[in-house]
Amino acid sequence: MAVEMKLPPVLDIIRGNIVKHGNPLALKGAEVASWAKKLNLPAQGEILFYTGGEYQLVPFIDSLVKTMTHMDQGGKGFSLMMGVRNILDKAGINAEKIYASVLAKDKERFNNVCYKAAVVLQQLGYDLCYGGEQELYSGALLYELGYWQDLREYGQKVVQSIKQSGAKTIVCLSPHAAEVFKLVYPKLVNGFQIEVRTFVEMVWEKRDKLPAVKFDDSVVIHDSCRLARELGIDQELRDIMESVGVPVLEPMRSRKWTTCCGGPGKLLFPEISHKIADRRVGELEETGAGVILTSCPYCLAALQGGSREGSGTGVEDLIEFLYRGFAV
Amino acid sequence: MSVDLQKEFGDYSKNLNRASKDTNIETAITRAVKAYRATVADAMERYPHTPDLAAEVRRIKADSIANNDALLRQAMESVERNKGKAFYARDKQQALEIVAEIIGKEKIVVKGKSMLGEELHLREYLEEKGNEVWESDLGEFILQLKNDRPMHILSPAIHVPREQVAEIFSKFFGREVPPDIAQEVAVVRDFLRDKYFNAHVGISSANVVAADTGAMVIIENEGNIRLSTAAPPVHIVVVGIEKIVPTFQESMKVAEVTWRYAQYGVPSYVSIISGPSKTGDIEKVTTYGAHGPKEFYVVFVDNGRTAMAQDELFSQALHCLRCGGCMYECPVFQVTAGNFGHTYLGGIGSIWTVFVSGGLEKAAPLLYTCLRCGRCVERCPMQIDVPAMVAELRNRIINGEEQETGLDSQAS
Repeated sequence: MAVEMKLPPVLDIIRGNIVKHGNPLALKGAEVASWAKKLNLPAQGEILFYTGGEYQLVPFIDSLVKTMTHMDQGGKGFSLMMGVRNILDKAGINAEKIYASVLAKDKERFNNVCYKAAVVLQQLGYDLCYGGEQELYSGALLYELGYWQDLREYGQKVVQSIKQSGAKTIVCLSPHAAEVFKLVYPKLVNGFQIEVRTFVEMVWEKRDKLPAVKFDDSVVIHDSCRLARELGIDQELRDIMESVGVPVLEPMRSRKWTTCCGGPGKLLFPEISHKIADRRVGELEETGAGVILTSCPYCLAALQGGSREGSGTGVEDLIEFLYRGFAV
Repeated sequence: MSVDLQKEFGDYSKNLNRASKDTNIETAITRAVKAYRATVADAMERYPHTPDLAAEVRRIKADSIANNDALLRQAMESVERNKGKAFYARDKQQALEIVAEIIGKEKIVVKGKSMLGEELHLREYLEEKGNEVWESDLGEFILQLKNDRPMHILSPAIHVPREQVAEIFSKFFGREVPPDIAQEVAVVRDFLRDKYFNAHVGISSANVVAADTGAMVIIENEGNIRLSTAAPPVHIVVVGIEKIVPTFQESMKVAEVTWRYAQYGVPSYVSIISGPSKTGDIEKVTTYGAHGPKEFYVVFVDNGRTAMAQDELFSQALHCLRCGGCMYECPVFQVTAGNFGHTYLGGIGSIWTVFVSGGLEKAAPLLYTCLRCGRCVERCPMQIDVPAMVAELRNRIINGEEQETGLDSQAS
């Protein structure tokens, strides 16, 4: 006998946003694609540049979680807060007001990660195309949270939108997107036949073309769980840093033993998530490196949130760090 | 039918948050994680054959679970042949009734640490039946007095520092016990020594069972298992059916891998018990109950394990050796200890909770706590894929339990 379980509303809200709006936080396509204006990337080509809207939504998650932390998860306020556009559409409140607390500089920073990633790949000689406002989120969270039936249907839409590009290869900025495309789609979604690569792999292949990064300090690499364990990518990050001439320090737990940033717990258990991030930042800072480097939007957000004010250790995505070499 | 879990999630979440701010937990776990990593790394260096042996044990466990029915029959026959009595308990209630029936009322019982005992609430049940039951493992003894539950499967009182132990003991023994670990250990030793020799029954579990010889293999350091399985006139083993392997030789391999990953390095004691105590020293006439127990009982408990064994994805959860290594590497466990769990703890615990200890609803908050980060898989000598099982169980929470598996083998 099927027992229907009523779970915290945040789960269903995230599901609804993905299914109805193609993005976990129901961000508008125009907002998700705004970073690409300057680049005029074609909609079709051999290599599809895929953001999945993930770096773009990071600052919004944080602003929501910050508010959420103070609210009872079962309460009405919580539902409203997490309802975002999904619920707000019905209630007639402007969604932008919920997001109003997001700082413009944060939005700009995370949007810029996409821009920088595209520029780095172009400079390395890759011809990119991009889905723009039509690009859909991969649905990784549908898999993660148990909405597999929804993913079967939603995945078809994603496959269609990707097919329109005519690309043979999709390059994912987020390891979560790469994981779900590579390991889950073949089992759940019909007709997904494109080669899946990560930004890290694409850069690694042409690392000899990378310009040196002028950086007087060392970096410490925080391996993302998905990248290191699910996708088996860890040495590549070290090789890339060697190519740009920056010394790498190792924390006490790294590569396939890496410590989770706490990010996956953010939606349901924000305090625990924050505590885990804080401890991980501690492990990374112990190395004495100048910058903590990672290659995942959620790790970036979680570690940024866990880093102490005035500690002097910055947190950067690999994309941002490599762009330093091109931006001189 | 619908069940609202929002309040459970809320309460559970508050409890996790409270635990994450508990300085006792933080101090204890930080120390424990450091010690675990150092000891295991050291043991791996000293015994470098361990990873290969673990690979062999993975095969042994997989084959054993696949042949569990036959092995259970064989193990029960072996126990009977050795003049013990073997029982099969389909579920929790049956297991409790069998044990209570053997023991009767108003008996003194000394009991070793056992996760299955926790799963069955064995001590509480026997107490309700009018028996005096003592936990003989020091950590469990502390928790028995504190009326608390284990926060780690091997170090159940991991969250209780010596100062708190001293308070608990001072109150219980009615005299000042200083916060000195050696003295704390000594008072319990004196107290329990008396219980061992006056107990009517000793209860233990087993880490491994060899089907061919009927041997119960029990790993320990304290010596409480030795005493509680040898001194009383009756010994009852209550053990899960997943612990059975075909041969004695294989049981030794499983035992070595278990203790190596359980931070024992080399355990002080490994007991191998296959039947009641006996002697033939007078006229070669076999007489039972020489120095040890005259009666020997083994209760094999199913309680959901067969269902787990028959599920293609979940049978691997039965390979768990209960070494506890995964917990030390779990980022959530590191900040909340056993609050991430009920009887069974951590990610693997959430799986066990579904099948043997409360079901999918009870496990739901635990299943959504797991980060699916996968570090437990790296540590696990059996390489149990907890993240994959957690994902599938979340799917069952959302889409219903009927759906056997959400993944097509080939969607193409």
